[in-house]
Amino acid sequence: MARKMVFIDTSLCTGCKACSVACKAWNDLPAEKTKRIVSYQTQADFTPTTWTYVQFRENYKNEKMQFNMIKLQCFHCADPACMKACSSDAIYKTETGYTLIDQDKCIGCGYCTKNCPWEVPKTDSKINKTSKCTGCIDRVEAGMKPACVQTCQPGALQFGDYDEMMAVAQARLAELKLSNHKANLYGDQFMGSTTYLYLLEDTPYSYGLHPNPVSPISLTIWKDLVHPLGGIAIGASAVAIAGGVVANFVMGNYAKRAKKIAESHNEGGK
Amino acid sequence: MAKVVYRFSKGERFVHWLHGVSFLLLLFTGLGVLTVALQPLSNIFGGIQVSRNIHRVVAVIFTIGIIIGFVGKGEGARQMRRWVRDVLNFGKDDFAHAKNFAIEFFGGHKPFPPQGKFNGGEKLNSMFTILGTICIAISGYIMWFAPSMPQFLVQWAYPIHSACALFMAALLIAHFYLGVLHPDSNQALKGIFTGWVPAKFAYEHYEKWYQEEAEQTLKEV
Repeated sequence: MARKMVFIDTSLCTGCKACSVACKAWNDLPAEKTKRIVSYQTQADFTPTTWTYVQFRENYKNEKMQFNMIKLQCFHCADPACMKACSSDAIYKTETGYTLIDQDKCIGCGYCTKNCPWEVPKTDSKINKTSKCTGCIDRVEAGMKPACVQTCQPGALQFGDYDEMMAVAQARLAELKLSNHKANLYGDQFMGSTTYLYLLEDTPYSYGLHPNPVSPISLTIWKDLVHPLGGIAIGASAVAIAGGVVANFVMGNYAKRAKKIAESHNEGGK
Repeated sequence: MAKVVYRFSKGERFVHWLHGVSFLLLLFTGLGVLTVALQPLSNIFGGIQVSRNIHRVVAVIFTIGIIIGFVGKGEGARQMRRWVRDVLNFGKDDFAHAKNFAIEFFGGHKPFPPQGKFNGGEKLNSMFTILGTICIAISGYIMWFAPSMPQFLVQWAYPIHSACALFMAALLIAHFYLGVLHPDSNQALKGIFTGWVPAKFAYEHYEKWYQEEAEQTLKEV
């Protein structure tokens, strides 16, 4: 199956949150007690059982209010930092472009969470498992649209093969640019390009998004430098002490030791 | 009959073993999350989730226990503080001792200037241990409470924690050799159990300390 894309056109989003409900329904996720966070937003962050939610930002300009609404979920990066950070080889990529967590292998260490630029994966500390949006991989592989796309009334979510969707996104960007020079695509220029691509009406910053998310340098140092060097240090230390024992033995130091100690018993200090 | 001098107070010995035993427990309960290949190690303790709980309990004992070792007016705490002061005071004589480390390590011998209670090599080992312990403890608590910590802090805690664990393990292997396997320096081994070491050994390895302090405790056993 070819690489897929979900194109999220925020200019068409009405903030109805049906995507969030559809996600819960299809993935059998329990409802959570919500409260008003800001504006019409009722979910502060992802949780182990809330994989997508709509974030609301009210931006005021010339006494006019502009709603910046955005559906958030895992971006499904082509080059995901979470996968590199995973202690248990539980995170993998599908050929359709999805980044998935194998729940059997996951131990809930949470290393993926803080290494994800958006801190998407969340750990359930009761069962020690980490979860996030699966992109409705079961539906996708059965030839259906993801639940959120299926349910989206205003057509803000579109799903298809990556290249076709990219063309749709570019065309829509060009259209929007005629009236809004701030319009931009978010997702195609970082983390190896993401499976969920956004069309934003304003800067990423005004949606509370990193303008240029990267895989953390600390992650590269950790996995590609500290681990191999640490292994070498331990190996070198073990080889050195084996060499030390052999050298002392060959030089007769173990034989001399008994004599030396007997002497020291007699002589005491100086 | 053997002549011995007093080297380590009860407090120093207690903190040494508290550190040593808890470090080993922490290492083996922690290696399972380092890489998948080492995950079977955690089965020794009953699986990865049990290891994780042991790791946290021991971490608290490890950090609180060591801090307590430094507090108070007792002889042990006083000697612990003196150890840190001595270690940080690394001079020409210490360097002269430490530069022959490799020769002594492999069974040779080269004369070195009279050493204080801790020789140059021991001071280096102590410095790495103090620095490593502080860094591994701080980074560990940051990782423990990751969800409520700033993102960049947690991101950097991971490589720091791994680096401290692996390099301190390498250091421990060498420390075990010098304390247990090395035919000359392992004469000190009794000192970390009973507090007393052979007088001649003390004189040969720590002449300055012997003259200034240790000789006063000389006794025959």
